[in-house]
Amino acid sequence: MSKQGDMQQELALDVNHLFKNFGGLQVLSDVNFKIRGPELIGLIGPNGAGKTTLTNILDGALKPSGGTVYLNGKRIDTLPPYLVARAGLGRTFQVTRAFRRMTVMENLLVPAMALHATASRREFEEKAREVLDFLTMSHLTNEYGRALSGGQQKLLELGRLLMLDPRIVILDEPFAGVHPRLMEIIYEWIYRVNDEGKAIILISHDMETIFTLSKRLLVLNYGDLIADGDPDVVKDDPLVKAAYLGEDEPAPASPAGPESAKFALPTRQPGQDDSADDEEGRVNA
Amino acid sequence: MANQQIFLLALLWVVFWGAIGSLFTPRIYSRKDLDISRATLGGALVGAALGPIGLIPLWIYTPRFTNRIYAAASIIVLGILILAFARAYPDNLCVSDGGFVASQVTNGIVIGLIYSLMALGLTLIYSILGIVSFAHGEFYMVGGMVVYFMSASTLFGRAGAWVWLLGAAVVTFVIGAIFEILFLRPMGEGKIERPKEYAILVTFGLSFFLQYLVQGLAGANPVKAPRFFDFPVIELPNAEDPYLIKTTAGNLRLFDAVSIPNTRFVSAMISVLLLFALLFFLYRTWTGRGLRAVSEDRQAASVAGINPYRMNTLAFALGGMLAGLSGATLVQVFTWLPQVGIPAAARSFVIIVLGGMGSLPGAFVGGIIVGLVEALGAGCVPDPARAAAYIPAYGMIILTLTLLLKPTGLFGREL
Amino acid sequence: MMKRSTLLRIGLPAALAFLLLIAPLWIGGSPYIMHLAITAFYYAILAASWSLLAGYAGQFSFAHMSFMAIGAYAAALYGTYIRITTVATETCREIPFFGRWLVILDPIGISQSSQTNCLDLARQTMPAGSMIIQPSIWWGLLFGVVAGGLFGLLIGALVLRLRSTYLALFTIGFSEILRAVISAEIDITQGQSGLEMAPLFPNGITLFGHSYSASDKIPPYYVMLALFLVIMLILSWVVSSRIGLFIRAIREDQEASAALGVHVVRYKVLVFTITAMMAAAAGVIQGHYIGIITPNILIILQMSLVIAMAVIGGLENIYAAAIGAVILLFGLELLRNSFTIGPVTIDMTTWRLVAFGLVLMITLRFFRNGLISPLIDRVMRRNVARETVALRNAATAAATPTATTAGEGGSDE
Ligand SMILES: Nc1ncnc2c1ncn2[C@@H]1O[C@H](COP(=O)(O)OP(=O)(O)O)[C@@H](O)[C@H]1O
Ligand SMILES: [Mg+2]
Repeated sequence: MSKQGDMQQELALDVNHLFKNFGGLQVLSDVNFKIRGPELIGLIGPNGAGKTTLTNILDGALKPSGGTVYLNGKRIDTLPPYLVARAGLGRTFQVTRAFRRMTVMENLLVPAMALHATASRREFEEKAREVLDFLTMSHLTNEYGRALSGGQQKLLELGRLLMLDPRIVILDEPFAGVHPRLMEIIYEWIYRVNDEGKAIILISHDMETIFTLSKRLLVLNYGDLIADGDPDVVKDDPLVKAAYLGEDEPAPASPAGPESAKFALPTRQPGQDDSADDEEGRVNA
Repeated sequence: MANQQIFLLALLWVVFWGAIGSLFTPRIYSRKDLDISRATLGGALVGAALGPIGLIPLWIYTPRFTNRIYAAASIIVLGILILAFARAYPDNLCVSDGGFVASQVTNGIVIGLIYSLMALGLTLIYSILGIVSFAHGEFYMVGGMVVYFMSASTLFGRAGAWVWLLGAAVVTFVIGAIFEILFLRPMGEGKIERPKEYAILVTFGLSFFLQYLVQGLAGANPVKAPRFFDFPVIELPNAEDPYLIKTTAGNLRLFDAVSIPNTRFVSAMISVLLLFALLFFLYRTWTGRGLRAVSEDRQAASVAGINPYRMNTLAFALGGMLAGLSGATLVQVFTWLPQVGIPAAARSFVIIVLGGMGSLPGAFVGGIIVGLVEALGAGCVPDPARAAAYIPAYGMIILTLTLLLKPTGLFGREL
Repeated sequence: MMKRSTLLRIGLPAALAFLLLIAPLWIGGSPYIMHLAITAFYYAILAASWSLLAGYAGQFSFAHMSFMAIGAYAAALYGTYIRITTVATETCREIPFFGRWLVILDPIGISQSSQTNCLDLARQTMPAGSMIIQPSIWWGLLFGVVAGGLFGLLIGALVLRLRSTYLALFTIGFSEILRAVISAEIDITQGQSGLEMAPLFPNGITLFGHSYSASDKIPPYYVMLALFLVIMLILSWVVSSRIGLFIRAIREDQEASAALGVHVVRYKVLVFTITAMMAAAAGVIQGHYIGIITPNILIILQMSLVIAMAVIGGLENIYAAAIGAVILLFGLELLRNSFTIGPVTIDMTTWRLVAFGLVLMITLRFFRNGLISPLIDRVMRRNVARETVALRNAATAAATPTATTAGEGGSDE
């Protein structure tokens, strides 16, 4: 327990004045937040709000147009993704990205071996088996990634994160298109990882899960971080209601003006798959 | 001669500062939070044109790279190289003989028009199917072979060039359609696991197959078709002093300086005709509009009732046919072998990458640029043996530079 | 179960290697078959290393034969222009070299037109008893491999950002430029007439008490076999090591690999370099064996053959690619004989290639993993499906509430 206490002390993510624009499109403007210790944070916002872009910047895949990110005092916004991963930040992708023509075991070995330059395969196979047990996928150890269902591929990604063993994880819509039975396992996964002293940023459209799971809520609205705090407080924030929650909660008192109607429209972005609807279609294709 | 080193030095200078510019400019622009999509090429051009004198103010003021900056810098670079070349090789025909240069330029444009036609086929395929056909050169070769054999046969020998061309068009169109239906359609249906790589390899397989099939059927001896048409004999303004135009059956002279062989001229004219026919087809007919709709938005097009599979087949067959026709016209210019498709295909790759993959105007402009570069390279490089041997390399240098500096090409959609 | 697969994994290749080692005892009498075997190993090296690059790392490079040619030409240039003398020549470019002189022959001097070079001139003035030594070809091998590796590194770094189609176009372009340069720089490379390369054992060699002349096929057979076995060993080590794991992950998904801590750039360039070195080594040995190297080894046909061999064998399996190369080479050879039916003579040297192209296309379309590698997979992975089912049944029997239902049958293509 005392060890976990130390880890809480260490774990700190500082996001300062983050900006990002693609050409003329301002996707993030002046995003600031801090994470201290193993928090379980929900990140919500309408489609196209910039959640995935924020994830990509934190993970190093994109460079911010301005601002800095520090992980445990180390600046990570200038690092390439593989170094960010080694520094202790892991993420999943909105669209599942299992290695389709590698076995489940090999999928799990990749992050473990990337992290430890000297260790041999054998050392990690044991750990990988444990992870698979936890994900109730041990019978699939030698199957190829492509033979898994969409939900199982999502689980596999979570398994890879367990092998990477990062200090902070960002889950980009982990529940999209997942069978309810597998959802339980993801819940369990989140609690377990959180109990191990890791911080989690959970991006989801599913209000119910967000409110059950997270202790803190960030709301992103077209580039602006409009709220940050206790979910129950944030829920009643008029700004948030106007911008986002109005569409999900049939609450009568919502001051839905013409402004919010715009946000209620489901916006489809070019070049970016919305995984939720076609996820199952890809399975075993 | 010490003079010759001037050109080498100028070349080195340009390449060195170009490289510096292309490497560091994007970094500086990205640090200043500016759009970097044009910084690589812009930095390279400014560096090559002005060296440190240009780069330092560029890095301080970091202006937006407009087309005007591109153009000015390119002109300066060309100017430097031409001047240095003239100083280094004062006796070279390209420096001393204006008529020779004009002749090379005209011939470059003429041959470039034909290259364009072939590259248009490739870019058409890319814009609809999203693949590059590595068998494009073999369609070109087959087109030429068909014309040769028809012209040599007793049945069609007297039918005339238009019939031969029609024959080449039909044969290449049919080959393209059959291949597309058998091997590429499954890709669209999602039956193929790694479609991009599959497309490369399977069209490569087709190229191999066609090459040796033709070799098996026709043998490996070089052949050449007869001249399609003779020029009418004209001398303008009059026979005594023909400073404007003078033609013989096989040649055309302009201004007493520029000389264009009949076969090239006829090929280019046929290519231009076909170009217009293609434009008419794409912009004025329903099927052509359907093709363009598919290239812009596949999903929307199929919702609008256009069968995308049929469009794929049509595009591939049509693309192959354009290559075939360009071979069909050129078989009267060059000797023909089962292997002639390889350099022709390589040239088409260069053209569509330079022009921007999938861009029709790009293929057209790219074709003319490549034609010009080849003609001037072949005519001006000092050592004639080298000049000929390096012809395939000129295009490849263009390709390499494009991929390094502006992968989207001249007219490509910016990413 | 574990034991059986280990046995297969190690025992089978070992047995095969042993067979190849003793094969000359039976077929050594036939120089023709020995020649085919040497050529088969050469293609097997190229196909297997290309399968690492294309199949495992997903980099469909058409420049593989270029690296082979770079290796061969580096060794040939070294053999043609480098000599060691015991006394200074005073006419050639030379540098002191461990008490002797390393002489660089004037390249212009030995172009086709005049056969004299600076050393021929110097010979007349050199004191009697001074020696001119042609340095060992094995240093040339090293030189060629290093040159191949350097070019592999350079090209690998240049094409890093290019994806499939562009990579293919760029590498075809590189290959063509190289061919143009080699054909054009006649002063150095002697253009189309090519450079001669010394035999592997210029003075013959004695093996097992039997002495072989420079033109015997048995010593080159063992050299090429040794190279083949060494390269297959390296390849199988690479494939089973972290490198193999990472390059496959990168092939599957570059961004996801990077997000999991894989240094994408390093491994992409590394695999380019390694495979380029292997191709270069094959080129050097083959060049010495054949005795001459010309720019024609860079024609597309050669690259097509290697690609077709790897694809038909199985692109994603180095062993399958190697076996495919050997089988196809012998197959093509068997089909070589032309025949006559009535008035028509079928020129099989061409038609066999037509058939080859057809087989290539059909393999691609209907047997994505090639013809050989499914056989290997069937042996190696035959119990996976059964295992999956058994394990799941066990799990269901234990009444785990979260037992999953998907992934039926564990499709095992
Ligand atoms: N690479 C990119 N280039 C241009 N625009 C982008 C890019 N990635 C995302 N965008 C745009 O940024 C906005 C935010 O996208 P995203 O971060 O994916 O939103 P979210 O994940 O919240 O739905 C969208 O308008 C999207 O179109
Ligand atoms: Mg998103």
